[in-house]
Amino acid sequence: MTVIAGAVLLVAAVVFFLLHPILSGRHASLHRERDEPTEAESRRRVTLLALRDVEYDYATGKLGEEDYQALKRELAAEALVALTDAEGESSASRQDVPWLEREIVRLRGGLAAGTTCAACGSANEPGSRFCAYCGIPLDTPGSGSAPDGSAPRPEPA
Amino acid sequence: MNVLGELALWTALPVALWGAVLAFVAGARQRGDLQLSAERSIYAVFFLTVLASLGIIDAFLNDRFEYLYVASYSNRSLDTFYKVAGLWSGQRGSLLFWLLFLMLFSSIAVWSNRRQNREFMPYVVGVLASIASFFLIILLFADVNPYAKLGFTPADGQGLNPQLQNYWMTIHPPTLYLGFTAFTIPFAFAIAALLSGRLDSRWIALTRRWTLLSWFFLANGIVFGMRWAYEELGWGGWWFWDPVENASLLPWLSATALLHSIQIQENRGMLKVWNMSLVILTFLLTIFATFLTRSGLIESVHSFAQELRIAYIFLGFMSAIIGVGVVLILWRLPKLRSENQIESFLSREAAFLFNNLMLLAVLFAVWWGTMLPLFSEGFGGEKITVGPPFFNAVNIPFGLVLLALTGIGPVIAWRRASKQNLKKNFTLPVAVGVAVLAALWLAGARHGAALATFGIAAFVMTVIVVEFFKGTRARVRIEQERWPFAFLHLVARNRRRWGGYIVHAGVVIMFAGFAGNAFKAEIRQTLDPGETAEMPSPLGHSYTLTYEGLSTTLAGAAPVRNVRWQVEALLRVEKEGRPAGTLTTARRALIAQEDMPTTEVAMRSSFLEDLYVILSDVPDLRGALANDPNAQTVTFTFMVNPLVGWIWYGGMIIALGGLIGLWPDGVATRARTPVRAPARAGGPVLAGAD
Repeated sequence: MTVIAGAVLLVAAVVFFLLHPILSGRHASLHRERDEPTEAESRRRVTLLALRDVEYDYATGKLGEEDYQALKRELAAEALVALTDAEGESSASRQDVPWLEREIVRLRGGLAAGTTCAACGSANEPGSRFCAYCGIPLDTPGSGSAPDGSAPRPEPA
Repeated sequence: MNVLGELALWTALPVALWGAVLAFVAGARQRGDLQLSAERSIYAVFFLTVLASLGIIDAFLNDRFEYLYVASYSNRSLDTFYKVAGLWSGQRGSLLFWLLFLMLFSSIAVWSNRRQNREFMPYVVGVLASIASFFLIILLFADVNPYAKLGFTPADGQGLNPQLQNYWMTIHPPTLYLGFTAFTIPFAFAIAALLSGRLDSRWIALTRRWTLLSWFFLANGIVFGMRWAYEELGWGGWWFWDPVENASLLPWLSATALLHSIQIQENRGMLKVWNMSLVILTFLLTIFATFLTRSGLIESVHSFAQELRIAYIFLGFMSAIIGVGVVLILWRLPKLRSENQIESFLSREAAFLFNNLMLLAVLFAVWWGTMLPLFSEGFGGEKITVGPPFFNAVNIPFGLVLLALTGIGPVIAWRRASKQNLKKNFTLPVAVGVAVLAALWLAGARHGAALATFGIAAFVMTVIVVEFFKGTRARVRIEQERWPFAFLHLVARNRRRWGGYIVHAGVVIMFAGFAGNAFKAEIRQTLDPGETAEMPSPLGHSYTLTYEGLSTTLAGAAPVRNVRWQVEALLRVEKEGRPAGTLTTARRALIAQEDMPTTEVAMRSSFLEDLYVILSDVPDLRGALANDPNAQTVTFTFMVNPLVGWIWYGGMIIALGGLIGLWPDGVATRARTPVRAPARAGGPVLAGAD
């Protein structure tokens, strides 16, 4: 008797749990949340990570000066394109978020001035030598010595 | 409890099917309510599977021998420890166990993505629920229901295979199963990416940690299995290229390839089709491993006939995975085009590609060697079996190339590396490798493959140490940190890179341990009490072992630890004439498994070698058990296994590196969080973290 009651209870609970959303009209989201990265933003992040790797390879002597400069130029250009695409996506879909526009302008300026951290993507105050969020050295003009001290500091892209 | 458990298993199938259908409909029609119901079905199936598993454990603990499964794998005096482990002792229970872990991971994946990556989720849930349905169909309809009854109640069960009555039984299989099942999540996300059409590197970022988790459990599970074999099976080895061992190695190989090649996609936008295929292949191999070890196919080809139904269902499922995968990839081919091309063969991506090819070559060789008996009997009628010589001949060269690549990859830059830089970075490591080779040659070592392993291992280790040194030095200079802090921060800032290097270091040490096997020494000797044996070590010294005598145990009314009888030999050890302790090695038979006596080996482990003693034979067992003074003669096998400990040390270092790579690094996943990153530090651990 107890077994039958338990069984009925179990099945009823499961059925209720499953049907409840449909009957009550509760629903799960099926769209990207607005603070999640879009394709273009993912691309931008990937480019920044690639930039970090190039920096590291150069600092540890795996990349020659010439290749380093060329790769850095390419990647910076890719990052800018991704940023422009991201901007296009956001202005199309989120016109109601003006701070976003400011953010993009700030990030883009930061990329050009070398205040955007290549490691974590955070924006830093102009003139910063190190990223305030992750502590990685930034590529600002006239900032200190090269990572391993032997290689000359490159010009910002 | 048992009835409720069985009911839960039957209820789980319609719930899983409901979830599978609803999730795909929710995706196609964009119906959020159906999606919520489908996601709830995942939690519901998890809950029902927990009930079903508890029901089986309960049946074991209460000696419910009316259940076929309990009667086949337990007996009354079996340790409680192994009764709980009964859930995964045999085919029926372990399929349920597989489902339990699958649903645990599925629930974690659904829960951690309830507010993010929503565009993937209908398809992710659909795939997960379909896989759950598949396992439930097998459990319920392929004669492997763990709740199947005998129709009568035997007085006692048949007991558990004595070799499984070892503490590794509670560690090794669950670890492997965690590895197999965790890979379902990357597979589900990959299929979701194909179906939803969002094919940028997002799905890779979302599943990289799951892939690493699966890889981590597989790696540990394999090493645990090796250790178990070494301790329990008593032949002094740790790997026999046994089909069951091979089955666990296959998905690990392809997961390793994937962990490398996704870096090329993330960094360079290349190899999208390749990565997609590797995900599908790896998942297929986790299912294949389960199929091979749990369908009954592997013990004997003849059991195929008896297990026809489960084999066909598995084959059908695997064909469906391949079919769906191929069709989806072909359909999305235009969106999977490579964004770049390999610029130079002297580049990290080229090295990674080569690493992938080598890993797949090993994978194919192992797969072929494992399946050959089946194929040959199926097609030619004559069963051809290949053993360790085949696997070693094929895999040692591939393994050495892979080992060398472990050292080359990290030092080559992405895109293009200049010869000049290569020369600069390779001079020291190559010199160290050659020096080690020369030193070993001068010391008298002449085994070609082993020498090559040691030389390459020294080269790779130098590369890794230099990498750590350079990175730390850079931090010391720039951040003005002290060396230990600089080192810790270096690893913490890019856990993926440095965790990977630590894994490489573990692999190197493990390979050195494998190579030590080439210098193994073994003698077999029959001794009377008081007699001694001389056991020379390949490292120059020698051991003197004195056989002191036997002690015996016979089970009385209340058997201890399920033992029917045990004969234990005591040996006094001297190393170079100095006392070095005692060793005991035993033969024992367990209750309900008296016809399968096992050997308990004795080990004296040190950093450089293990002294390993096996009680190979007790000629007059009956006399010995009766404590007859004239029946004390026994035969021992003495072994010295050089560097075997390095395999376990290497395994621990691999696990450490894997943990470092897995550790959440707090780098935010959401687009704009870098700006307010500190607030989100320590965010989601798995899906959703990158």
